[in-house]
Amino acid sequence: MGRQLSFLLALWKTNLLSAMEYRVSFLTQVVGMMLNNALYFVFWIIFFARFEEINGWDLVDMLFLFGVVATGFGAGTYLFGNAIRLSSLIAEGLMDYYLSLPRPVLLHALASRSNASSAGDFTYGLFSFGAAIYFSGSFNGLMLLRFALGCLAAMAVLVSFLVLVQSLTFWIGNTSLLTASAFNAIVTFSLYPITLFDGTAKLVLFTLIPAAFIGALPAEFVRKFDLLQLVQICAGGAIFLLLAVFVFYRGLCRYESGSAIQVRM
Amino acid sequence: MPAISVRDLRKTFQMKRKAAGLRGSLRALWRPDYQSVEAVRGLSFEMEDGELLGFIGPNGAGKSTTIKILTGILHPSSGEAAVLGHVPWEQRQALAFQIGSVFGQRPQLWYHLPAVDTFYLFGKIYELDDSSLKRRISFLAEAFEIEELLETPVRKLSLGQRMRCEVAASLLHKPRVLLLDEPSIGLDVVAKQRLRMTIQRMNELEGVGVLLTSHDAGDIETLCRRVIIINHGEIVYRDKVSALKRRYLTVKTVDVRYNEQLAPDFSLPGVEMVKVGRYGAKMRFDTRVTPVEPVISGLAAAGSLADVTVSEPSLEEVISAIYERTEA
Repeated sequence: MGRQLSFLLALWKTNLLSAMEYRVSFLTQVVGMMLNNALYFVFWIIFFARFEEINGWDLVDMLFLFGVVATGFGAGTYLFGNAIRLSSLIAEGLMDYYLSLPRPVLLHALASRSNASSAGDFTYGLFSFGAAIYFSGSFNGLMLLRFALGCLAAMAVLVSFLVLVQSLTFWIGNTSLLTASAFNAIVTFSLYPITLFDGTAKLVLFTLIPAAFIGALPAEFVRKFDLLQLVQICAGGAIFLLLAVFVFYRGLCRYESGSAIQVRM
Repeated sequence: MPAISVRDLRKTFQMKRKAAGLRGSLRALWRPDYQSVEAVRGLSFEMEDGELLGFIGPNGAGKSTTIKILTGILHPSSGEAAVLGHVPWEQRQALAFQIGSVFGQRPQLWYHLPAVDTFYLFGKIYELDDSSLKRRISFLAEAFEIEELLETPVRKLSLGQRMRCEVAASLLHKPRVLLLDEPSIGLDVVAKQRLRMTIQRMNELEGVGVLLTSHDAGDIETLCRRVIIINHGEIVYRDKVSALKRRYLTVKTVDVRYNEQLAPDFSLPGVEMVKVGRYGAKMRFDTRVTPVEPVISGLAAAGSLADVTVSEPSLEEVISAIYERTEA
């Protein structure tokens, strides 16, 4: 465990060094993404200016929700940046590099790239959480701990979901369109109050498109401690993670490499 | 125990086939047509510890597929292989600590960063402690003459400089076997020679075994004592490079110039006249059919010699002839 952590830290440091080679581009993407998220939230500000709440969710709930989703999403796609391009790595035979080095292939592949814009999501998430605390008027150390745990669980489910979808590439070839659709679906559904959905839709959000584990569930847990929710987010994170690792390594046996000329960025 | 041992190794890929145009695409959508392509067909060979073994063949012969199986990147369809006692596709991580690999078309160095940053990352990947990593970097920097290049972003290095850094990176953890897949691809003559010298030097200094694939016969001729030639996934030749020369470099070409005019019907028994001029001739003969001595005596007897040049085909031409023979 310690060995892998030391390796991960070195990899993230190298990613950071690489990003710092183009500081202006890095900062532009960070600020750009923060603005993009802020503009998206303006919709909810306008909405709640007219309606006080929607199925029990108010503007502060939405700030908590955006805080958890953006921080978890930002951390996930910054630290494991290749989670959003695993499909092309597999389809184009670019996994050779990771397979030739003595490290777990999936971990190495995922952490080998950081998206600058994800740092913008992460920062925006922290601002949103800060605003949620300010407007709710309630804060204590335990809430901070719950926020960290909620973001970690959201990150684990999001990255695992992306790995699961893209691992299908080993069986059905290029899944970039499917990946894009799945990615949009999980991000979109995670940013709505869960109380809007019921029945089958809710079941889908806990299983097929596990947006509930990324948004509503951890956001509610951050706001107020609930043992059942704690168990649910921990179990959800662990189950999706194990499933993703299992499916990826089953697929890896079918990997066919490639002869494309490559560059390590 | 040999460093590499391969027995009846096979690898079959499923390739999707599609007729040209929209109609072909629609048909492939409805009923895809897959064809099995055998990239490696029952390869068996061994490489001794510390040996420099050439592994050559034309494009699509199965060289890279074999190397990818031996590094654990690909699973074979059938057969056995052991590299330093490890089954590559089953013990990939344990094996990777003991071998190094360089793929000419697949850089390991981070493009936007100086090579030294990748070296430090590799230090963590291979679990080297800081002080021994620093000593190793400085040793390799000197051996590969890359001291001045280490702090320059990789994107600003020439191909030759980059490739020396690539090979140095693959040697950071003192591997016992180095798998080099076309390391000299795209390099100019000087860069190739420098790369060959450093590989040879590391073999002598550290006893690292090298399995080298290359399209350049010069790489094989300079570095390897033994060569395996494959075509269509099968071994078509295996022996010492010197034996390859003895066996196939038997055709001599002679260019001769005289101080006086030659007879118009000038010829020698067992010698093919390529071109006959007034003061000189170009001819070819096979030493297995016609001994050298009567040819030289015949040339001397034909007139007063001004100049004689005897040449043999390059190793590249010989290898090309072997490929063509197997095609036939």
